[in-house]
Amino acid sequence: MHALAMNPTEHTLWVTALIIGFVVVLAVAALLSVLIYLVKIIDRRVAGVRDTLKAAAENTSNTVLIPQVADGVEAVLAEGLQHHLFLGRVLGKVKS
Amino acid sequence: MTLLVILTVVDVLLLIAGLAFYLFWVGSLLTRIATNLEECAELVRTIKAHAELIGPGVEHINQTGGVVAGALPLLYEMAEGIVTGVTPAAPRPEVPEPALPASGTRRSRLLAAVGFTPQTLSDSERTGGNPR
Repeated sequence: MHALAMNPTEHTLWVTALIIGFVVVLAVAALLSVLIYLVKIIDRRVAGVRDTLKAAAENTSNTVLIPQVADGVEAVLAEGLQHHLFLGRVLGKVKS
Repeated sequence: MTLLVILTVVDVLLLIAGLAFYLFWVGSLLTRIATNLEECAELVRTIKAHAELIGPGVEHINQTGGVVAGALPLLYEMAEGIVTGVTPAAPRPEVPEPALPASGTRRSRLLAAVGFTPQTLSDSERTGGNPR
């Protein structure tokens, strides 16, 4: 194995490229750290949205009672019509 | 020369290792976010299914309640007529009494003006209620 000869200009360029490489590594690490920070914020907010949606789903789970209430009100109307017919018959007898 | 080569290899390895570490970290975070978002989408679909029942149900209740509210005054009038019909009233006499004024009968002064005094009048009536 023989040593490669390198003139001072090439050596300086290599050292410069090496320093630039380290700087790029540090910059990449810093930018990826910022990316991690922002993604963690997104993760927390998404978890909050999920919890809020869970609470909303629990609140709206009772809407299945609305059709039952509608049927109950309709039963009240039917019973009221029966009362109307009964009172109509009784009123005719009382007045006569 | 050897030092430069070693530093270059270290630089490249640092870049690759750093990228791999951060990308794995970001990947795991994004996977968790994706799972949460899928759960959110499912919850939104559930809420939509729940909310679809509200409109027709409330419309049905409103329509039926309007009919009930319109029919209740009729029931009230009929019940009032029944109560009026079955309430016992005072029996009417066979020969109705003459209608008398509330102020009573007034004594006529025509007989006294001609000097006639009926025997049926008492002393107080004869004197007009004034002591002599």
